[in-house]
Amino acid sequence: MNEMDFENRLRSIANGMEYPRTPDIAGSVTARLHTATRSRFNSKALAWSLTIILVLCSSLMLIPSARAAILEFIQIGVVRIFPQPVTPTIEPIRNATPVVQAPKTATSSSESLIPILNQMAGKTTLADVQKKVDFPILLPSYPSDLGEPDYVYIQNADGNMVILVWLDPQRPDKVFLSLHFIPSDSWVINKMGPKIIQETQVNGQRAIWAEGPYPLIMRDGNVDFTRLIEGHVLIWADNNITYRLETDLNMAAAVKIAESLKPIP
Amino acid sequence: MDESTLIRHAANGDMTAWEPLVLAHQTAVFRLSYLLLGDPDDAEDIAQETFLRAWKHLKHFDATRPLRPWLLSIASNLASNRRRSAGRYFAALTRAFRDEPTSLTMEENSSQRTQAHDLWKAVQTMNLADQQIVYLRYFIDLSVAETAEVLQVAEGTVKSRLSRALAKLRNIIQEDFPVLVQGPKA
Repeated sequence: MNEMDFENRLRSIANGMEYPRTPDIAGSVTARLHTATRSRFNSKALAWSLTIILVLCSSLMLIPSARAAILEFIQIGVVRIFPQPVTPTIEPIRNATPVVQAPKTATSSSESLIPILNQMAGKTTLADVQKKVDFPILLPSYPSDLGEPDYVYIQNADGNMVILVWLDPQRPDKVFLSLHFIPSDSWVINKMGPKIIQETQVNGQRAIWAEGPYPLIMRDGNVDFTRLIEGHVLIWADNNITYRLETDLNMAAAVKIAESLKPIP
Repeated sequence: MDESTLIRHAANGDMTAWEPLVLAHQTAVFRLSYLLLGDPDDAEDIAQETFLRAWKHLKHFDATRPLRPWLLSIASNLASNRRRSAGRYFAALTRAFRDEPTSLTMEENSSQRTQAHDLWKAVQTMNLADQQIVYLRYFIDLSVAETAEVLQVAEGTVKSRLSRALAKLRNIIQEDFPVLVQGPKA
């Protein structure tokens, strides 16, 4: 097959590509432009409103019960969990993505995740990652046959965040477990009103078990984004590192995995 | 009203002129973003951001030029940045715990759709620059001149890059997806 035939063949095959239905981008863009215009016109009024809100909040902070309500969130390391479903009072965030439920589409997780794992920035090896961070990388010794992670990443999130990913041996296209090591000066992660929040302990330290769905907001001052998360997550902190363990297993199994963490032999 | 007139009106702040332009190009922008990111949510985010950025910089755009290559260029840059973001990783990783395989959909797919999907998988193994040029030429069906505008390079450069990308793609297909060049089974 010469180059021209090959090109024609590619074009013909690509014509059969099935795409998800194009969403109403024009509607969303127009709405966002209208909102931006209104907020520009109202910026002076908004500044006054914010000043008033700040004054009111400052006054409320003097009343103990009000102070408790305002400050009521659970902080584990760099993660803040707001237990009640709250109406976000945050201003629209620059670069933020809208909170949307992942639609059921023809793209399965196996099709979308593995290429992402392969292309993710900071892919490295277990041997190398420990040389690059000044905190100990711990591996679960439970389940005993878990072995080493299938993927290891180190990413700059205003600190060297390390991510370990284990695939399901029975379903190598599916993630079995992921473990994040997030340094204390790193990104702030907010979870707004998870469906289930349960306090537990990991090696005697306070830990939180959260089940989705809930919006997850990450911010580091420059980049903000919001996503709807549906997973089960165990979060705890120790020695300035926040650990985030995500799995489909139940809380007891997740705690057992967390308590089995040991330094790389 | 033709495209250049709409662009001039929109550049002067007329949102009613911008909306038909978004409608005209949203599918191409969304599809390119989807090809590059493989995720419809991410593609929608990028498509929205593309039109918002284009609106913001419309005053500097030459209204006599076609809009689509410029939009695709913005989308391509935004999608490339998104590919490596931690946010995308978190979103995809989390979904992976929850999503069920969609074998039924695949079973229902026609042979042509399956082949297109296999071709996409083959292209995904290439580096980003090669992916961009292949998507623009064969999936979005742009001409060499339009592809050159999107990538902001000379047409000759597009041809040489394309030739190298095709050679690589041919090897990948022969190795992993030979049925694509042999044609469907009878």
